[in-house]
Amino acid sequence: MSGRSVAIVGGASTKFGVRPSTWSELAQEAGAALFRAVPELRAEDVDSLFVGAAEPERFAFQSHVAPLAAEQMGLRPTRILQRTELACASGQSAIRSAYAAIAAGLSDLAVAVGVEKMNLPSVAEANSAMGCVMDRPWDGPHGATAPPFFAMVAQRHMLEYGTTEEQLAAVSEKNHRFANSNPNAQFFDKTFPRDKLLRLPMVAPPLRLGDCSSMTDGAAAVVLTSEEYAHRYTDRPAWVRGTGQYSDFHNLANAGSLTDWVGLRHAGRRALDQAGISVRDLDLAELHDCFTISEIIEYEALGLCAPGEGGAFAADGRGAVGGDLVVNPRGGLLGCGHPLGATGISQALEVFQQFSNAVPAARQAPDPEWALVHNLSGSANVHSVMVYQRGGAA
Amino acid sequence: MTDERARRRGGASLAPTKPESPRTAPSPAERTSVARPGEKRPFLLDFFPLETARDTRLSKFYDRLREGRLSTTRCPKDGVLLWPPRTACPKCHSEDLEWVDLPERGRVYAFSAVLAGAPLGMENEVPFPVGLVDLDGVALRLFGRIEGAPWTSLRVGQAVRVEAYDLNDGRVFYRFRVAP
Repeated sequence: MSGRSVAIVGGASTKFGVRPSTWSELAQEAGAALFRAVPELRAEDVDSLFVGAAEPERFAFQSHVAPLAAEQMGLRPTRILQRTELACASGQSAIRSAYAAIAAGLSDLAVAVGVEKMNLPSVAEANSAMGCVMDRPWDGPHGATAPPFFAMVAQRHMLEYGTTEEQLAAVSEKNHRFANSNPNAQFFDKTFPRDKLLRLPMVAPPLRLGDCSSMTDGAAAVVLTSEEYAHRYTDRPAWVRGTGQYSDFHNLANAGSLTDWVGLRHAGRRALDQAGISVRDLDLAELHDCFTISEIIEYEALGLCAPGEGGAFAADGRGAVGGDLVVNPRGGLLGCGHPLGATGISQALEVFQQFSNAVPAARQAPDPEWALVHNLSGSANVHSVMVYQRGGAA
Repeated sequence: MTDERARRRGGASLAPTKPESPRTAPSPAERTSVARPGEKRPFLLDFFPLETARDTRLSKFYDRLREGRLSTTRCPKDGVLLWPPRTACPKCHSEDLEWVDLPERGRVYAFSAVLAGAPLGMENEVPFPVGLVDLDGVALRLFGRIEGAPWTSLRVGQAVRVEAYDLNDGRVFYRFRVAP
């Protein structure tokens, strides 16, 4: 890797859920939580702010959210201030941009914050906001949103490989169980055993309610800095060792195979190669389980198992504590909810906390050194991957 | 959706694909509306696009659809069909593209149905099936509504045909209907 080494050195999250809070209040809450969680952080040292926000115009009737977030958080950026938008991957985009700026020497200390307010008085208006993530004038009039698209993905995976509803439910059960150890998760206090999941109503067949992540309000923030300053904030930095992104279509007509996520194969390969490790070296992964079928295909595309074996990988508990690696210990999008801009930040925060052995034992990966974070966005037409290594003494 | 309701919502089958055959627009009586009277939505909450030459350089797509022809653009240099219709070729960047009619029949590659979570203005149409359809004889797989059968009786491989339908506000759009 060229440029300076960059690490996440701290972070914090709000409670995710249906929150009686506005967009700005969520940003304030994340800022307050961040300064409590990282007592060494001084606002005047933060030279740059990257704000992951997918659709504040649709959900909060608010544009120009980067300076708004800065004001809410008590920051006065002097070097780079910008919003990053990549739908469901907006949060990881903020981290990637902060990483690039610090590596290039354009920033020394940056905050990446993700904020999304998705629960509106009108559920249908919120669904319209989700619909315009697709190619709006072509796919939108047919009623395209994420659930029917990923339902078709699941149908094809079932048809081509024999994947079952029970295997889908195994993903949801695992991630909801992890969420039961994460008080910030939307479904922290709800249990979803497999037989209950299989009785929930269909949203878009074959996907049931428990196969789908929800509309969630929440915010999260992390601090990034370079190798020169990381020791000021933590003795367990999470070093960025690799990144990869890939996009090859937008309109649904150009998706190609629904079950072979070429973009993730490329993005994952690039990120792992840059880090100089194999997928077998990973101790934990935060994968974008917007739907249960997504996590199953992500196992396959990352090479954790062969194509078609993702369902068995889930059902056999190979992504649980004690399995091949721990997948979505935070609770995933299924258990935490999916506030679009905040999700990628929250995933990275989980990696940082896992590296410090600072999460409850029920979801702690054993002595993790390598972690991968993945977000897809839209109709899985963009894949964004980052690889982290634990710093400090083992 | 019941057959009766599907019939009331109407839509006209595209004319035969033979290029020499005359094409006729569906008569107004054959057209019904999905945008019900009094439900005109603000532009930023309306998924259906603006279709006239005042708003889009692709207005021919809608003009041809109004005549019952589903069409798209093709780059004459490499002959590749482009979807959705475009004004510039993504490969050679030529802006000299040609319009071609598409087959009106195809088969379902994958389908689901929206049972919940429909966008504003589509809540009353729930449940509605949607799918990806491989058009016969061309390398295009289009997404769209599938009318004429409940989702529980649809199958992968199901034969469908394209139909144009009228929004009753001067605009027109396309969808699929289960073929007899």
